[in-house]
Amino acid sequence: MTTEAKRALLGHFLAALAYRTQKALRDAPASFGSFRVIDGVRTPAELVRHMTSVLGYARTHFIGGRYWPEALSTFDEEIVRFHEMLGTLAQHLRDGDILLDGMTEERLLQGPFSDAMTHAGQLALLRRLAGAPVPPENFIVAEITPDRLGRDQANPVSPDKVWPEAPKDWKV
Amino acid sequence: MSTGPQPSSDDKRELLRHIVATLAYRCGKAVNNPPPHFKDFRVAAGARTPGEILAHIGDLLDWALSIASGKQVWHDSTPLPWKDETARFFAALKVFDSYLASDEPLAAPPESLFQGPLADALTHVGQITILRRVAGGPIRGENYFKAEIEAGRVGADQSSPRVEFD
Repeated sequence: MTTEAKRALLGHFLAALAYRTQKALRDAPASFGSFRVIDGVRTPAELVRHMTSVLGYARTHFIGGRYWPEALSTFDEEIVRFHEMLGTLAQHLRDGDILLDGMTEERLLQGPFSDAMTHAGQLALLRRLAGAPVPPENFIVAEITPDRLGRDQANPVSPDKVWPEAPKDWKV
Repeated sequence: MSTGPQPSSDDKRELLRHIVATLAYRCGKAVNNPPPHFKDFRVAAGARTPGEILAHIGDLLDWALSIASGKQVWHDSTPLPWKDETARFFAALKVFDSYLASDEPLAAPPESLFQGPLADALTHVGQITILRRVAGGPIRGENYFKAEIEAGRVGADQSSPRVEFD
């Protein structure tokens, strides 16, 4: 398999992560960042910081060193930093930068990239538990492109017309 | 922009198989030895139970195969007993992986297969994991990049974790 092919799909992975994370965060209640369902479960702000951390860890395999993000004072700042990290990591992939210490694209995928994607799913679940669930959509036709990694993600192309678990005030 | 040959779908198809293997490993860990009554644990009204999530993951994998083979169809299944649903999950992974490994054409771009059913399935694995913690039966953390994950290894017989932590 060519490295170029692997990296193209990894770049798409990061774009899908940006899209799904924003879907889980868009129009969230103001207090969502500090919502803690029970002791021992991360708040959304802690989850986003952790997602930044695992992506930053992935980045260390391009540049060396360690990465340990300090907590920022607002949820908004955490979200901004997360998207900046997505962009930085994607740039390493696009530039064809060499992976250090025997790291491979497959291991990046199975480790930090997949970690972050599972946490995006947790954000969506926490939205439900915080009383502000995220409406479903058909993600296969979503506007996801490798150069769109920031906070400004597309609206759903194909939102579900039927949502059995919808809140009472939901409209398509 | 590169003027050389563009990455082929066949190359990306191989990396899709690694994603499928990753799903097998991570979901296999999330569903193994659950706390009592976990299948029906409903954390809040309107939230899916773990049994419903696992059944949905199985539906996503069936959907992925239908998209790949050009006969797209969606089916909502009724959750099976946990053990049976787990077996269904691995069986669906195996069929999908076998299709990816074959010479059969892909009726959709690898990117679409990833951003739809496969990414969805990964997010739902994260949800099962957090529900295990809420239900009082958390799984141990792991440095997954060191895990023994390889394309084609998609059954219930996954390798033991190499680096776990609490």
